[in-house]
Amino acid sequence: MSGSGIQVDRRGPQVSQPTTPARGPEAVAKGRSLLPEADAPTWFAFGFLALLILGAVLADWIPGLAKPNLEVGAFSGPPALTVNQLFGTDALGRSIVSRVLYGARTSLSIALFASAISMSAGIFLGMLAGFYRGVVERLVDLYANTLASLPPVLVILALIAAAGTSVFTITLAMGLLGIGTYARITKGAVISQAGRDYVLAARALGASDVRLLAREILPNLVPTLTAIVPPLMAGLIVTEGSLSFLGYGIPPPAPSWGGMIAGSTDLLNRFPLLIFGPILAIVLTVYSLNTVGDYMARRIDIREGQL
Amino acid sequence: MRSVRSTYLRAIGMRLLAGVPVFFLVTFAATALSDLMPGSAAQTILGDSATPEQIALLNAQYGYDRPAWERYLGWLGKLLQGDLGKTAYSQQSVAGLLLNRAATTFEIALLAMFVALLIAVPLALFTATRPGGITDTVLRAVSSTLLSIPIFVTVVILGFLFAIVLRWLPATGWMPLAQDPIGNLGFVALPAMCLAVGQTAYFYRVSRSEFVATLQEDFVLVARAKGLPASYILLRHVLRPSLPQVLTVFGLSMTHLLGGSFIVESYFAVPGIGWTVLGAVKDHDIPTVQGILSLTVLVFVLMFIVVDIGYALIDPRVEAT
Repeated sequence: MSGSGIQVDRRGPQVSQPTTPARGPEAVAKGRSLLPEADAPTWFAFGFLALLILGAVLADWIPGLAKPNLEVGAFSGPPALTVNQLFGTDALGRSIVSRVLYGARTSLSIALFASAISMSAGIFLGMLAGFYRGVVERLVDLYANTLASLPPVLVILALIAAAGTSVFTITLAMGLLGIGTYARITKGAVISQAGRDYVLAARALGASDVRLLAREILPNLVPTLTAIVPPLMAGLIVTEGSLSFLGYGIPPPAPSWGGMIAGSTDLLNRFPLLIFGPILAIVLTVYSLNTVGDYMARRIDIREGQL
Repeated sequence: MRSVRSTYLRAIGMRLLAGVPVFFLVTFAATALSDLMPGSAAQTILGDSATPEQIALLNAQYGYDRPAWERYLGWLGKLLQGDLGKTAYSQQSVAGLLLNRAATTFEIALLAMFVALLIAVPLALFTATRPGGITDTVLRAVSSTLLSIPIFVTVVILGFLFAIVLRWLPATGWMPLAQDPIGNLGFVALPAMCLAVGQTAYFYRVSRSEFVATLQEDFVLVARAKGLPASYILLRHVLRPSLPQVLTVFGLSMTHLLGGSFIVESYFAVPGIGWTVLGAVKDHDIPTVQGILSLTVLVFVLMFIVVDIGYALIDPRVEAT
């Protein structure tokens, strides 16, 4: 009883504070939300992503689901109430549901691996740049600015023009391209953390630079990073989709959302239904990732506001 | 007066200075691209059926047998004379080709940008003054949905709608603006519309949050207390101080739009930069790819200078940073 009372008390001012000019009316709409301050779109986003990841991981074990390259029905068949034909069949009679799920596996794993590359290198460089400033910061800035000056698709296409296309090349290229963004954001966060009292206290206690960065500052970067990872992953999924759409992404027999959309455009005036599966998949995925990112960012604002 | 002008010049100078290493880095990387080719560059260009003599000849002709830094110095030397080399197959001048194609791309991009601003800014002004209202809620949902639609989905849907179902606009093709301005409008409409969709949603979001922040400033309260008309406050007290932020987003969007134009141009067969780069990638045409990379970087650097000048024009307090 008293526990919930305290919660209400704490939550009340926290959330409704934004009604005063300090925060702006923006937060008023969000203030109505439930327990973890999640609104309906946020719940939907988390739910959809969970289902998608489950479907992608467990695709092999879903009862009745055909392999993505297997002919299961009529060419360009309409949707029907079986697992494989829920979204219809494509121009080669393959199950669109199956191809969307297996395509999710490819898209998500490319985004995951590329993010892992960008994050590990980007956070490392960003921490050095933000902590030591000077020459390191200049170099990191130069790298970030250089990458920001070019559309990622152009850079990857240029690499493909030289080295040829493969999933490995694309993943590596997207990973290297993402380093700049992570480095820039980490650098900013480190600069804002480095002057705080807890860092000063740790330094006064004789902590080494490595300890300061790894044990004191890094944990405090986690909230900022959790807010930027989902939208950046959405960006990666769109980039990979664009490349596949242009025919330079995942090689054709393997399922990919971009490739499926490109493949069905010729048949669009006869079988417009073909395109719904992959379009729904990519739009909802991007929407969910962006929404989750927005939600995380909101949570940080609240946390920082409490400090 | 003199100090203000020198401030401009210093701001521009600093930007140029920051842009120079970026330009060199990108163009050098572009030159080094051919070293990534499996075997040798000529091998990739000519294919498997080429004889060793042919390969050696082509490698020598393009200088692929020399180290990257040597090729780069040569490329820079020619750049000073306005020569970007020749395309791999048709032996056209890359500079001439790009100028021609860039005009098309920029026409579409600028039109998209203009349309997006024209729709987004008034809507944002409207909802920023009525936060939490129905229009605000609806537009928030619409903009976040539009932002989730990748451009390659937009082209398919809008192309289907306007070219196949409604038959209002041609699905593919191009007519240069100089040749037939009216015909050009028909061809430019669909590509520009596709680029504008996401851009409008993006501009709307950014300008709305910017306006909301500005509306909470004390000077707006004072203006209201003075009894100034709402429209006057919006234009003079809200729009103007928010402009630098909107301008930055405008500048940053250029790279984004250029990325989108690859998809749009390839889908609607518009002979712009994006279409050219895709052809060049297919043909392993490194000189063209190199030219396009250099042009893109140049546009980016110039865009930032323009944004900086814009800052200084809007807000006289701006100093070189």
